[in-house]
Formats: sequence, C-alpha cells, structure tokens
Amino acid sequence: MVNLDDLKKEALNLLKDEKVKYIIGYTEGSNGTSAAPAFIKNPEDTDKLVWNPGCFHNLTRFLRDEKKRKAREKHPDERPVGIVVKGCDSRAINVLLQEKYIKRDDVFILGVSCESTGVIDEKKVAKKLKGKKAQKIEWDTNRNLVVTTEDGTTKIPADEVLAERCVECPVHSPVVYDIFFGDKIKRTTDAQFKSVEKIENLSQKEKWDFWKKQFDKCIRCYACRSVCPMCYCDECVVDTISFAVTADTTAEEKAQRIKWIEKSPTPSETFIYHIIRAIHLAGRCIDCGECERVCPLDIPIRFLNKKLEKEAKSLFDYEVGFDPDQLSLVSSFKDEDPEDFIR
Amino acid sequence: MKKRTGVFVCHCGINIAGTVDVKKVADKLGKHKAVAHSEDYVYMCSDPGQNLITNAIKEHKLDSIVVSCCSPTLHEKTFQNAAKAGGINEFQSEIANIREQCSWVHKDKEKATIKAEKITRSAVERVNKNESLEPISFPVTRRAMVIGAGIAGIQAALDMANTGYEVVLVEKNPSIGGHMIQLSETFPTLDCSQCILSPKMVEVSKHENIKLLTYSEVQEISGYVGNFNVKIKKNPTFVDPDKCTLCDECTKVCPVLTSDEFDLGLTGRRAIYMPFPQAIPATYTLDDKHCPGLLPIACGKCADVCDPGAIDYDMKPEIIEEEVGAIVIATGFDLYEKEEMGEYGSGKYPDVLDGLQFERLCSASGPTQGEVLRPSDHKVPKEVVFIQCSGSRDPEQHCAYCSKICCMYTAKHAMLYKHHVPDGQAYIFYIDIRSGGKGYEEFVQRAVEEDGVVYLRGKVSKIFEYNGKIRVWGVDTLAGKDIEIDADMVVLAQAMRPSKDADKLAKLLKISIDKDGFLQEAHPKLRPVESVTAGMFLAGAAQAPKDIPEAVAQASGAAAKALAILSQENLFHSPQVAKSIPNLCTGCGMCVDVCPYDALSLKNGKVEVNEVLCEGCGTCSATCLRAAIEVKNITPYQIYEMINASLGG
Ligand SMILES: Cc1cc2nc3c(=O)[nH]c(=O)nc-3n(C[C@H](O)[C@H](O)[C@H](O)COP(=O)(O)OP(=O)(O)OC[C@H]3O[C@@H](n4cnc5c(N)ncnc54)[C@H](O)[C@@H]3O)c2cc1C
Ligand code: SF4
Ligand code: SF4
Repeated sequence: MVNLDDLKKEALNLLKDEKVKYIIGYTEGSNGTSAAPAFIKNPEDTDKLVWNPGCFHNLTRFLRDEKKRKAREKHPDERPVGIVVKGCDSRAINVLLQEKYIKRDDVFILGVSCESTGVIDEKKVAKKLKGKKAQKIEWDTNRNLVVTTEDGTTKIPADEVLAERCVECPVHSPVVYDIFFGDKIKRTTDAQFKSVEKIENLSQKEKWDFWKKQFDKCIRCYACRSVCPMCYCDECVVDTISFAVTADTTAEEKAQRIKWIEKSPTPSETFIYHIIRAIHLAGRCIDCGECERVCPLDIPIRFLNKKLEKEAKSLFDYEVGFDPDQLSLVSSFKDEDPEDFIR
Repeated sequence: MKKRTGVFVCHCGINIAGTVDVKKVADKLGKHKAVAHSEDYVYMCSDPGQNLITNAIKEHKLDSIVVSCCSPTLHEKTFQNAAKAGGINEFQSEIANIREQCSWVHKDKEKATIKAEKITRSAVERVNKNESLEPISFPVTRRAMVIGAGIAGIQAALDMANTGYEVVLVEKNPSIGGHMIQLSETFPTLDCSQCILSPKMVEVSKHENIKLLTYSEVQEISGYVGNFNVKIKKNPTFVDPDKCTLCDECTKVCPVLTSDEFDLGLTGRRAIYMPFPQAIPATYTLDDKHCPGLLPIACGKCADVCDPGAIDYDMKPEIIEEEVGAIVIATGFDLYEKEEMGEYGSGKYPDVLDGLQFERLCSASGPTQGEVLRPSDHKVPKEVVFIQCSGSRDPEQHCAYCSKICCMYTAKHAMLYKHHVPDGQAYIFYIDIRSGGKGYEEFVQRAVEEDGVVYLRGKVSKIFEYNGKIRVWGVDTLAGKDIEIDADMVVLAQAMRPSKDADKLAKLLKISIDKDGFLQEAHPKLRPVESVTAGMFLAGAAQAPKDIPEAVAQASGAAAKALAILSQENLFHSPQVAKSIPNLCTGCGMCVDVCPYDALSLKNGKVEVNEVLCEGCGTCSATCLRAAIEVKNITPYQIYEMINASLGG
C-alpha cells in the first residue's frame, strides 16, 4: 500500500533541504471525489498532500508552464521540480525526455504505484451515488472503492468505477522515478485496446455518422489541447489568431502565416482539428485520458488516440513512453516495417 | 507584391497539344494578375524555343518564368539556363508538368485543358514566392576509393591512378584479383587468365598513386560527393609483409589443414598460407579462424621456424580513415551455391562441380596441374555433362534472371575438356544459347564443329549417384525424348549472384540494390555506371552479371565519371535546401532522425542544416509537427498557395 506519510515526509525533506524548487502534487479537492493539483513551496504545506482514487490529473502537463516560466527568467533557478506521477504520467515524462523538451535533471520524480486499482471515473461514481455527495473516497485492500457520504459508507467494486484507461492500462506503476511509493505490482491486461473495438466493429458509414455527430458537438474550446502534456508547441497549426510572435519573428514569417483551418466550429474545420491533433499525437500519446475527461461536451477523443496507439503497436511494435532513448514513431524506420501500403 | 512572371506553354508536337488546348492555357494564364507575358510554342526546349524565352524576359522585363511542358527531371536545367541567359536568377524558373501529369494520362481535351491551366497557375503561385538563390560551392577532396579488387576494381583504380590522382583500393580478401585470377582460359580467345591479369595486379602493387588495403572492409562512411570520410577495418594478417621473405617454412610446420578457398575446396591449405603464388601483396596470412589459438602455448610452431621474425600473434585490427571525393564500388559476384540445388544433389556428390571448380581443374596452376581428373578417384572422366542455367532463369525456385555468361563459359569448358581429354565426350544441356558479343557466336560454333560437343536442348530434372557414375535424367525437347546419361562428371553452370554481404555494404553506403540484390544503377540506359548516390559509381559484376570485357568497359566508364569529380577544384550543390525556423523549433530532433542524408543536427537545442548534405527532399518538413523546418522555394506557404490555386476555378 502507498503510505501517504512516507510521501509527505519525502516531500518535506526535499523542500527543507532545498533540493527542489517546489513540488507538484495532489491535495484535497472541493467536491469530495476529485483531488486537486497542488503546488507546494513551503515545507509545512507538505502535510496537505493526498493520494487517493481521485488523483486522476496528469500533473506532467504543468511542466510546460514551468518550462515557459523558466525561459522568461533572466537567472532561472536550475533546481528540479518535484512531481508526483502515476504509471501513465511517468510515461509522459519519458516522451518529454525523448523529445528533449525537458532534461532528466529538470524533474525529481515521486512515483506512486496504482497497485491493483487506479483512478476513478467521476461520472461512474456519481451514477453509483445517485445524487449523494461523497465526502471521502479510498480503496480498500479488496479492490473496492469505499465512499463516505452523509449516510455512512458504501463499497463499490473497483471494476465498476475505474476509469476506462485504468482498466486498459499496461503499467500500473511508474516506469521512471527517483523515489517509488507503494508496491511494484505487475498487473497484466489482455484488454489493452478493448474500448477501441466498439468503434472498429462499426461499418464505415456508421463510423462516419458516429464521428460526425461527435465532432458536431465540439465548440473548439481547446480544453483537450490545454490539458495535454504533449500539446506543448508554442504555436499550434490550428490557431489562426494567437500566433507565437517573439522578438525574432520576422515580418516575412508573419506574412507567411498559413491559415490551414478556420477558427469557426463548423463540422469540416472541427474534423480537421481533431484529425490533426490525433496524427500529431501518434506515437506520443500515453493514454492518460485527460483530453476526454476535460471535454465539456463528452466527445470520446480518447478513441482516436487509442486507435493510433493500437496501430503503432501492431504494425511497428512501437510502444510509447517506456524508453526515453527510442527514436520517435514517425521519424524511425526499420527494415522489417510493413510496406504493404506501397503499391 | 506580385512578380512579373512569364508563362511559356509548350506543345511538345502533339504530345501535349493533342490533348490540351495549349493556346487556351496561354490565353487564360495571360489574364493572371502576376503574369506579365504568356505565349505558346511548338517545342520550347528547341533552340528557337529557348531564345523565345530569353528574349521575352528582356523585352517584357520579366522577373520569373513558368514553363508548362514535360517533367522537370528532363528540362528543368534547360529552362533554368534560359532564365539565366535572359538575365534573371535561375531559381526564378519553375516547370508546370502538363505532359506526364496531364496530357499523357487524359483523353478528354476540355477537362485536360482545365487541369493544365490549374497546374500552370499553381506553378505561377509557386514562382511568385521563389527566392533568388546561388548554387552552394564546396571544395573537392581530389582522391578516390575503389571497393573490391577484381578485374573491375583493378581497372578502375589503374585508370584513375594513371591520370595522377591518388586511389585507395580496398579488398576484403588477402589478395587482389577477384574471380578472374581463378579462371583457366578465357573466352572468346582462350588466352590464359592469369597471364593477362597478373601484369595488372603487379602494376597495382607498384603504382605510386595506389594505396592498397587488402584483408580490409569498409566499416563506416560519412560525408557527401566530393568529400567522403571512410573508416576501413584492416584485419590482422599476423605476418609482417616487410619482414617476410616468402621462404615458406611456416606452412611446412603448420599442423592445421583446412579447405582452400582459391581452389574452391578441391585442395587443402594450412592455417598460415599464401592464397596463390601470384598473390598481391605477396605475403602470408595467418587465418585466425583456423589457427588453434594464436598463443605460443597453444601451438606457435610457425613463429618458431620464422627466421626473420615476421610472425606477430599480437597484431590487432587497424581502423584506417580515408578522405576521398569519389567512390567506385566493384564488389563483384559469387556463385549461387550448389547446396541450393536440391535437384542436382545439393553439393553432396564430389564429382558434381560448379563452373569455378572446373576452371581450377583445367588451370595449369590448379589442384591437378591442369589435368582434368575426377575429384573422387582421380580418374580421367570420359563422359562429362554440362548443365547450363543451373539456378538461373528459374523464378520459382532459384534466381529469376539470366546470368548471361554461362552459355559462353560452358562452351569454353566443353572445349577445354576436349583439349585435355580428346577421346572424351561432352554433352551440354541448355535452354537456349545466348551468344551475343564480338566473336561469341563463332566461338560456340567452334565448340560444336571442331570439338564435337553435343548440345541437348532441354532441362535436367535430376542427377544422382549410380554405380560409381552420375546418372543424369533429362529431356531433349528437339528430339522429343527422355535422355539418360551415366556421366563420369557433371559441371553445373551455377547462376551468378551478388557477392556475399553486398546488401550490407549497399546499406552502409546508402546506395540501392535491385530486386536480385545487385547494385542499382541510377538509370538503366542513360546512367548505367552511376549509383543513385552522387559521387558513388558502379563497376563490374556487382551491378549485374557480366563477363570480363564488359566489366572492364564499365570500370573505365566509372573511372571517367569519378575523374569528372576529381578534376574539379569545387563542386556546386543545389541551394534548394532545408532552412530551419529557430523560433518555432523546440529541438525535439525528430527531423534529425528522419533525414535520409544525415544533413541535420541539433545545436543548443535547435536544429541546424548542413546545406551540402541536404538534398532538399523535404522529409524533415513533412515530419516536423511545428512547421519549424522547410525547404527553400517549396515552403509550406508556397504549397498552400499552390493548393489554393489548383482548387480555385
Ligand atoms: C566459371 C566462370 C567462368 C568464367 N569465364 C569467363 C571467361 O572465360 N571470359 C570472361 O570474359 N569472363 C568469364 N567469367 C566472368 C568473370 O569472372 C567476371 O566477369 C569477372 O570476374 C568480374 O569481375 P569483377 O571485378 O566485377 O568481380 P569479381 O571478380 O567477383 O571481384 C570482386 C572483388 O571484390 C571483392 N569484394 C567483394 N565484396 C567486398 C567488400 N565488401 N569489400 C571489399 N572487397 C570486396 C572480392 O573479394 C573480389 O576480389 C567467368 C565466370 C565464371 C563464374
Ligand atoms: S522536427 Fe521541428 S521542432 Fe523538432 S528539431 Fe526538427 S525543426 Fe525543430
Ligand atoms: S530536406 Fe531532406 S535532406 Fe534536407 S534536411 Fe530535410 S530531410 Fe534532410
């Protein structure tokens, strides 16, 4: 079991010894189920850290802000940032290392094991609670979610409330870390791509209708992009207004900005946005599922990325986020790579 | 600001004008706001056509041109020169391909005309954003390398060395000479192979401009045409050639006996050996794969008897680095293994030989001093069956291609056999006889008429040992009957295949191989001695099965091509290369990994382009998620404008 006190103690020491700038972790949220990201600078605040089934956020996304902040500073503090990561999140760190976005010394990784469970899907829990408000949630040792409400406690089997990506998760504990908390349980899954099958089994027309309906809902709020640790480009191809103009952007560069797609959320433009995003995440997405979680319109974005993850694995034996030294999916070529698409 | 572009639409006789209304295309484009002048002409690439362009540039003060014609692979250069002659930068000229991509692939004249307009319009948009560029100049390392020292490699090296340039000749075996040195006599003149080759080998060894690296293999290569850096591994021979006096004492004491490569297993050799008497360099090699241990305790007999102390068990492989401007690859061939021929005994029967073994049997320096004897019992074979196309022209089971030389050398073998065994009988099974070449048909006729060789048209289905003979089952398709011969010896004209590991070398050098594994020429007709990589040339049987005269001719051709590079102080490289946009680059390095020419590197977290290495292929630009790298004069912005132009109207 993960011992929260150990985590707190380690965090305290790191801050007291000034080994890290600050720590990105989880603290109590406001609604009883969800934890909240916390940025802890003072050693005494480490007591606020929590570890519970509501810690679903992928905190590595905040490394983007850290990097940008650092770039602006004249004399940046070169110490690492402490960060709490789950198995999935740790793979994001590997991708960021692989893409040289961060250096290994930039982070001090507090790896936390999900052991036999994972994190919850808030919507599944809400359904089970039928309107009651949770005050506290935790896992017991028998893979049950113990929910405390004003009426006392209820137990719900983990499989009924786990986030879908946790059910399909191939790691369950961090693959890169400086300190490890909890047990290194090797849990295997034979259903890594189960959720994709639902859509794969549709006919082409059904697929098209399905996605048309989904993308029609999109209001282009870009929450999916904001929450994604891999969407770190200064300038995104879909932006037509907020170009990154820096001091050395030339007039020519400004003039040559291409408006590949319109900002308006018309179906064709929105389709293109999501397709571009999916393609740009091929071989990079580590399936933390955050994009889908934050979508206010419940668009099942995760499917697209998951499908590409499946293709990468079956065609090229490529798995994301396990080895920071591997060549990226789209920039590498092996003699054995299938070529049957060349005709 | 729009440019003043001139549009020139070519009829290409009726090649284009037959399907595209060229006048209409010129008319329509004339109305484009960036087009200052537009006209059509019957053959733009002709002299008057080019003059028309040059004059129009001057007359209409054009600053850029678009020529709507055939593929840029054909006439891009022509019209760039015409632009230059008109006084504008050559990179202000673009081609709109309305032949291969339009007129040749369509029938409907109206639609094809609309498409030709669109293609031209998009080229106008492209040229509108073209920068004026100057070719990139860089100095040449004026030395060459030849890989493989068979007759082709030797010829290429001598040709280049004789013009005064230094040549590094790399051979993987302990001696140069390749397969030709193993042959007895050569068709069509039957002159002794060693007698005509060994003078060239000596010339190589004595040539002041040739640096010979034998027992060596290329390990690594970097750089580009004009400036290659090659790392070569020289394997240890464990014998110091300068000290060795060729006394041959060592082979007398060596206890190891292994099969001799030069005689293709027909004789044996010691672990320390000289490949053959005329070997160049003339020295011994200790083969560490067979030597019991290279340790004085394990054996050490050879070192004991070596008076001059030439043997050094501590010799280590050496890595030699060479800078060269051009490379000729002449790695030759190997024979398709007899072991592959299940129907012909899989190499089990001692009296079933391949062509090269038979050459050794006929050779005066061979295992039998030139007497043709059966390997199994050293008797003179009275009936010999030669089987042509063994392993060739058999796409189902073996090699699909024709090995080209076997018809000729089989006729030669039958003839040589008759010269050695006048009362013997030679039979040749053949599919058909391919004897194209000067004096070749006459040579085959001589075999039939003077030496009484029996040619049987048909295939041999099976051979097997029977009563101390080799029973051959075949058909004579001309007579329409089955044939059974109990032969004393069978010689298989095995297919020629690329030399072992040619594919690995090709990968290292970044040149292509064809479907059969031979090195791929840049163009089958017009660039037969060039590889697809600039500065690398092909010679000899490495490129395709060929005989000695052809190998020599190609070698001299490759040498001339290489000399065309070496003879220049500077080379020029197209300036249409990648350019990074540091602002947008996050330094992920994906482009660095994907660039097929190793032209990119990361410096301080941003990508940098080596303009001489870059071929402008655009792979980087397509890979970068951030549009942080693009190729000059075909930037994403230009592509975007081109797409717009071809979608509009
Ligand atoms: C049985 C037989 C009989 C023949 N008779 C005749 C004849 O009578 N008349 C005629 O004109 N032709 C004849 N030929 C054809 C002739 O042998 C070839 O045309 C000729 O040998 C081709 O020369 P080459 O230099 O291209 O290749 P090769 O002779 O194969 O030489 C290639 C050289 O490259 C070396 N090498 C290979 N790989 C590497 C590497 N990676 N690094 C460094 N070195 C390497 C090899 O060791 C070899 O020394 C005959 C062929 C055969 C098989
Ligand atoms: S792929 Fe793009 S962002 Fe990455 S290093 Fe190359 S130019 Fe820079
Ligand atoms: S254009 Fe091609 S050759 Fe040039 S840097 Fe890019 S990938 Fe390499």
